[in-house]
Amino acid sequence: MWLMQYRDLIWNLTITDLKIKYQSSVLGFAWSLLNPLFMMLVLYFVFSNVFRFTQEHYALYILVGLIAWRFLANGTSVAMMSIVGKPSLVTKIYIPRQILVLSSTLSSFISSILEFCVLIPLLFIFGANITPYVLFFPIAHVIFFFIVYGLSLMVAAMYVYYRDLTQIWEVVIQIGFFLSPIVYPISMIPAQYLPFYVLNPVTIIIETYRNFLIFGLPPGLKSMVYLVISAVIMMVAGNALFNRLERRFGELI
Amino acid sequence: MANNRYTLKKKNLDNTNAIEVDHLSKQFRIPHERKITVYQHLAGLISGGSYSYEVFNALQDISFTVEHGETFGVIGPNGSGKSTLLKILAGVLYPDSGTVHLNGKIAPFLELGVGFTPDLTAKENIYLYGAIMGLSKKEIASKYDEILDFAELKRFENMKLKNFSSGMTVRLAFSTAIQTDPDILLVDEVLAVGDESFQRKCGEKIDEIREAGKTIILVSHAMGTVQELCERCILIHGGKIIESGETEKVIERYHDILR
Repeated sequence: MWLMQYRDLIWNLTITDLKIKYQSSVLGFAWSLLNPLFMMLVLYFVFSNVFRFTQEHYALYILVGLIAWRFLANGTSVAMMSIVGKPSLVTKIYIPRQILVLSSTLSSFISSILEFCVLIPLLFIFGANITPYVLFFPIAHVIFFFIVYGLSLMVAAMYVYYRDLTQIWEVVIQIGFFLSPIVYPISMIPAQYLPFYVLNPVTIIIETYRNFLIFGLPPGLKSMVYLVISAVIMMVAGNALFNRLERRFGELI
Repeated sequence: MANNRYTLKKKNLDNTNAIEVDHLSKQFRIPHERKITVYQHLAGLISGGSYSYEVFNALQDISFTVEHGETFGVIGPNGSGKSTLLKILAGVLYPDSGTVHLNGKIAPFLELGVGFTPDLTAKENIYLYGAIMGLSKKEIASKYDEILDFAELKRFENMKLKNFSSGMTVRLAFSTAIQTDPDILLVDEVLAVGDESFQRKCGEKIDEIREAGKTIILVSHAMGTVQELCERCILIHGGKIIESGETEKVIERYHDILR
């Protein structure tokens, strides 16, 4: 099994990714945390003063949504480059190519965990209802990891064949941002669209995070089952597409 | 198509062949107009232009075997398919038909310093490159001092690679790569690295590896090296094997076709 055989390499590539990411600017790591905080402030003032949304714990509500979304948006965008960005590891030596996507997604995952760690003091400051259900959060985040990894496998493999996928993906991510309940409350969605709206696994994951972290609610069985099924589908589809497209990577890069 | 897959077996010395290549063929499609974006594909559909390409037969029906402990040469003019063959042996390219069996751990030296990252220190790069070459963290740690000593770079272990000269980089790469302790070594003209004294050291190391009974596949244009090292050779021309056997005979034929 490649996962065990190459575990040292996977870990090494993951750490290398993080080192380079946080080395490149002076504030480095701090920037990646300040970014969602600034976004939250802007969105908070715009939407609570201009649009006058009334949502309990609105600042935290936005922040949890943003950090969750950043993992998907950054994770997939960076992972898309993971195959093409390391050409010598594809054309000069054989390693299972999934490793490149996996280590890229893992480093985004670690960044995301750090961002959630910064959220912890804010939860207390803004008076979230902290209950033992918070402990379910890591499980949900691991499920989300598999969704993002499956998606990353697809976009990374397709990017080898279609080099304008970056532009297309940027638009998809923009649309996804507004199709998920990040800045607005779900109650805004008209009732007739709601059944379709909640098919989006990201909607479910963000709502689940908020239940655990802000509102102190127990996990919903239906939501959790839906998330696990989504993760399995993404992993199976991602691996199938990747394995199919992988055969010609060596020729196309 | 399971029978086309590249198979890697555990080392099995009962089987006397280190490498068995059977009826291997590889084609490349060379499109008249390379489409690499969604936009170009869509535009192609709308304008009704058909997808046209030329087929280039990089390798046709290649078969040969290499015994354990043999140093085997692959020679041929530019563009004859040598590198394609080596890449298929390394598992980087998939063959269209035919099979490759490798008995033992393989180390491809198609390029030295694969995955070297300029922003990391020499130490970090040794661990990264070692892991890419299939070494565990423990194995690298145990060989770490030996690697730096061989490369004569002990003083620079905490310097970033981007501040290294190209000669230093290549020395570091060779010293790390040589520690992988493979059963089969694929070498694509990378023996000429560093200055004369380091080249001599490399030559000694290669001899050491040969004496240890390892199998080496050498692709080279340097007939002197091939003559010196290889017991047997194949000559590839236009994707086909046109001569094989004793090195001297094959090199003679190579000089004939160049004339």
